[in-house]
Amino acid sequence: MRLYEHEAKAILKKFGISVPQSRLIYDLAGVGEAFIDINKPIVLKAQILAGGRGKAGGIRFAKDPEEAEREAAQLFRAEIKGCKITKILVEEKLNIVKELYLGVTIDNTRGTPVVMASSEGGVDIEDVAAKTPEKIALLHPNILRGVREYEIRRLIKQTGLGGEMLTEVSSILWRLYDIFRIYDAEIVEINPLVITAEGKVVAADARMNIDDHALFRHPELETLKQERFENPLEQEGQKRGVNFANLKGDVAVMGNGAGLVMSLLDAVKAAGGQPACFLDTGGGLSVERVENALDLLLMKANLDPDVKAIFFAFWFMISPAEEVTKGFLNVISNRKPQIPIIGVIQGVGADRAVGILEKAGITCFPTIEEGVKAAVKVR
Amino acid sequence: MAILVDKNTRVLVQGITGRLGRLQTKMMLEYGTKIVAGVTPGRGGETVFGVPVYDSVEEAMKEHEIDASILYVPATSMKEAAFEAMEAGIKFMVIITDWVPVHDALEIKALAKELGVRYIGPNSPGITIPGETKLGMIHTVTPGNIGIVSRSGTLTAEISNLLTNAGLGQSAVLGIGGDPVVGLRLKEVVKLFEEDEHTKAITIIGEIGGTMEEEAAEYIKKHVTKPVVAFIAGRTAPPEKRMGHAGAIIARGRGTAASKIQTLNQAGVEVAETPWELPSLIRRLL
Repeated sequence: MRLYEHEAKAILKKFGISVPQSRLIYDLAGVGEAFIDINKPIVLKAQILAGGRGKAGGIRFAKDPEEAEREAAQLFRAEIKGCKITKILVEEKLNIVKELYLGVTIDNTRGTPVVMASSEGGVDIEDVAAKTPEKIALLHPNILRGVREYEIRRLIKQTGLGGEMLTEVSSILWRLYDIFRIYDAEIVEINPLVITAEGKVVAADARMNIDDHALFRHPELETLKQERFENPLEQEGQKRGVNFANLKGDVAVMGNGAGLVMSLLDAVKAAGGQPACFLDTGGGLSVERVENALDLLLMKANLDPDVKAIFFAFWFMISPAEEVTKGFLNVISNRKPQIPIIGVIQGVGADRAVGILEKAGITCFPTIEEGVKAAVKVR
Repeated sequence: MAILVDKNTRVLVQGITGRLGRLQTKMMLEYGTKIVAGVTPGRGGETVFGVPVYDSVEEAMKEHEIDASILYVPATSMKEAAFEAMEAGIKFMVIITDWVPVHDALEIKALAKELGVRYIGPNSPGITIPGETKLGMIHTVTPGNIGIVSRSGTLTAEISNLLTNAGLGQSAVLGIGGDPVVGLRLKEVVKLFEEDEHTKAITIIGEIGGTMEEEAAEYIKKHVTKPVVAFIAGRTAPPEKRMGHAGAIIARGRGTAASKIQTLNQAGVEVAETPWELPSLIRRLL
């Protein structure tokens, strides 16, 4: 789950890291007050969950209340990177002398955390990483031991900082590692960390992703999860405990297991169709989950006239298929689908399940290859 | 032994009294897996299908010779269970459970390195040596000489089944787990297959996200003499859309299907466009 900038900054602040003076506004009425409260000039920053916001026009500046209101009005009307803007973070504009980059994330290849620092902070850090990787200093701590502050200082020294700045920036990165661990973060990043003309060190922007699988340890964040979805069907999928990604196409696709469903999407495309969605029910299937999943696909089909057929493939590796697929029958009698449903059932109890489903009007094929071809032919 | 386990491997089931643990214990026993003990804290003294249950791994190890542990423990307590197994002296683990927090996966990985433990998972369907033993849920019954290593679960079952139906039996079928941080990586399993006398050809089932396929390709180019074929799931997945697995995210140009297919091809690996092309591809190379 990705946090909004203002949420990530609230966490940094809790850990004693300086952030700009700010106010979060949800409508134009908030602009005036925010302008009075905050040191001028101000910055208006659209709160969206996509990267590249600045280059897409999501960050505006204002010197007087009129300009602030004009810019805020434009932002609230705009759509940036496909996202509607519902909140703006109003901040003091910093007098930037130097921009650094600090981050902690997971190195999947090594299977360890990785702590990163660079003197080349700012919007183009990805370019720096690609073209001049030597400008990013790295540390791979043993997670069972953690990191010592002197190790962080050694890292920061590699970026060329010395004197008071060395200890101050090190202390910030050290705390960032704590935040990474305490919040089960996949990534926590300050970019840029600004050294101001007044000699202060301030986190001008922050990014933080929390591991969805660890939200049970962070009940205070779990509630935020619901509002993260741009598409109502994707949000509905989250509620129902299935992975749903909305796409544009003519065959709605479902299965159990991400790898399997991705291969179904590929097969639909290879057969000349366009997948209309990705739905992975996950493992350990129950009647309820299967019901919820098919019901969600029928909701999608009702909302989207492009959807001409539903195709699913389930592999039953543990639970008997006939017990679980009963769930389909309830949904079909409730929803009375108007488009063909084509499926493949394999594994434990597959034969019995196919018998039950065919009676309910679902066309079953013995192999995915044949099933996909039939689903794509529906026009 | 084909790779990692065989018919003589004595297995412990952690989480044996849970719904999944119980169901799977029955299926594994029917297959012929030598399950010698189970663990569920607080349930010591019970039996599950004749298998004695202990309160701790340590107690089970006192009463039995154990070579491997399979874990059906809930994700929220997986780290504790895996640490318990490793600290009690278990040297091979299969972690089936999905939704294990990635920080816990990092800690498991770090301790395994320290103690010299090998493991597959989390989020793994297990490992099966057809005709000998299965630890997990891959029900392949026809022995043969194709080794399958996969990042997926149900897709592994599908491809193993396609090969079996085409008359191609398997030496071992295993899923290393669909999560971003796992134990054995593709490359390491490919190495085991290369060294295994029962394996004549290797099938890799990869997917978008991460760099494991690229890593395996580099290894194959330098060290592998046996024919290798592959399938990569997700070649049509739209960038930046999350496709379920935490591992299956394409970002920043790396980990795309195109990059994986290209590096595999450069290493002499034939990459099938669909799973059902795999059997004929393998036949041609054998």
